[in-house]
Amino acid sequence: MSMTPEEAQNHAPKLDDVGEFLAHSLALENEAAERYDELADSMEVHNNHDVVALFRKLAEFSRMHAQEVKEIAAKYEVPHLKPWEFQWVDPEGPESGAIENSHYKMTNWHVLQLALHNEERGQKFYAGCAVLSDNADVKKLAQEFAEEESEHVDTLKEWIPRYPKPKENWDEDMDPPAVNE
Amino acid sequence: MEAVQLTAKDYKSAVKPIWCPGCGDYSVLAAITNALAEHGRPLHDVAVISGIGCSSRIPAYTSVYGFHGVHGRSLALASGVKLARPDLTVLVAGGDGDGLSIGGNHFLHACRRNVDMTYVIMDNQVYGMTKGQASPTTDADWTQSKLTPEGTGVNPVQPLTLALAAGAQFIARGFSGNPRGLAKLIYEGINHPGFSIIQVMSPCITYRPEQRDWKSMMKDSAYEATDNLAEANRRLLEEGDFSTGVIYKGPKPAFNPIGSGNTPIAEIEKEFAL
Repeated sequence: MSMTPEEAQNHAPKLDDVGEFLAHSLALENEAAERYDELADSMEVHNNHDVVALFRKLAEFSRMHAQEVKEIAAKYEVPHLKPWEFQWVDPEGPESGAIENSHYKMTNWHVLQLALHNEERGQKFYAGCAVLSDNADVKKLAQEFAEEESEHVDTLKEWIPRYPKPKENWDEDMDPPAVNE
Repeated sequence: MEAVQLTAKDYKSAVKPIWCPGCGDYSVLAAITNALAEHGRPLHDVAVISGIGCSSRIPAYTSVYGFHGVHGRSLALASGVKLARPDLTVLVAGGDGDGLSIGGNHFLHACRRNVDMTYVIMDNQVYGMTKGQASPTTDADWTQSKLTPEGTGVNPVQPLTLALAAGAQFIARGFSGNPRGLAKLIYEGINHPGFSIIQVMSPCITYRPEQRDWKSMMKDSAYEATDNLAEANRRLLEEGDFSTGVIYKGPKPAFNPIGSGNTPIAEIEKEFAL
């Protein structure tokens, strides 16, 4: 699906240097892996073991993708960017799931929804980079990465029906932590 | 030997945080470790000091020197650490209850003393660890605690206005939902010579679930940092509690103890003789 430059600006910055583009790609995957691990850790601590394995698996996938980007990046000069020098359109990278959207009673269905949201944002980020960049190499790489992200989106869409959508009161807790009397 | 470039991960310990899933403090921990990694100091040259509370658990989650101290006394402890070991980079982590109620007195004097350290105060306007009571920064009409069912009826403390009045020389506000921007503020705070305070709006999604909305309420300040006290005060009042950035960078030098402190005890005792 093509994207207009106006739409692309909502999802991606204009990156005309291959090294800078790859620095963003590496950070995107590494930070996604770290966030999934962080979520797995917090679920482990809160005894929600059902979702830990899935978060770990997603972290592993992100690390694999980071490794792929790293191999491509080895051919280029990739600058070190300080955390605040990345040009994400949002405060965090597109595949870093918002930490405040997690819940100690979340289910695998929620985990996959979170992952789907992240992958869709990742896909739009790369598609946007491809539209906005003036550099042919960046365009080519960004298109390739966007296609890969589309495959991840499709995979997740296949996985989601395997897990039933939880009932409306899934977060109800008969022994809630929020008791303050 | 070539220096090894440390990453944010190197500054994290193997201890897994026990914060509630969704807590803003996860991102504050990430921002602190990112800032330290950019600063590049070896692990043994950094100390993180805290008091008591959810956010005060941070020293356990870092791999640098740490001291999880008594409630409200983190700034006193940290001042001692810095004066005894001026070579260390000293950070203080804590919450609004720890720092502004139990530690309120120490807060005022840490601001005016201006010892070179960086105070990251995570403000969620509630005592989370004790299950959701009103804190010094809670709005007067917050009624969700059974201890204060009609609200506290007491004006909330304005930490940065207080810090400005008490003489703090680096005053900033960040948001846990923007960990990259927050890392920059902490990095700048560490680099500032003297006492730096960074108030971090860090939602408690368990006892203040409505704070999830902060994400859409926070915005970057329209101004650059100023060294003018009146101007900084005006900006704090004008922009309110939901603007982020460095508000004030003052010119006063960091605290430097004067004299050798070798007066005999007997001489000192004479001053107190009745």
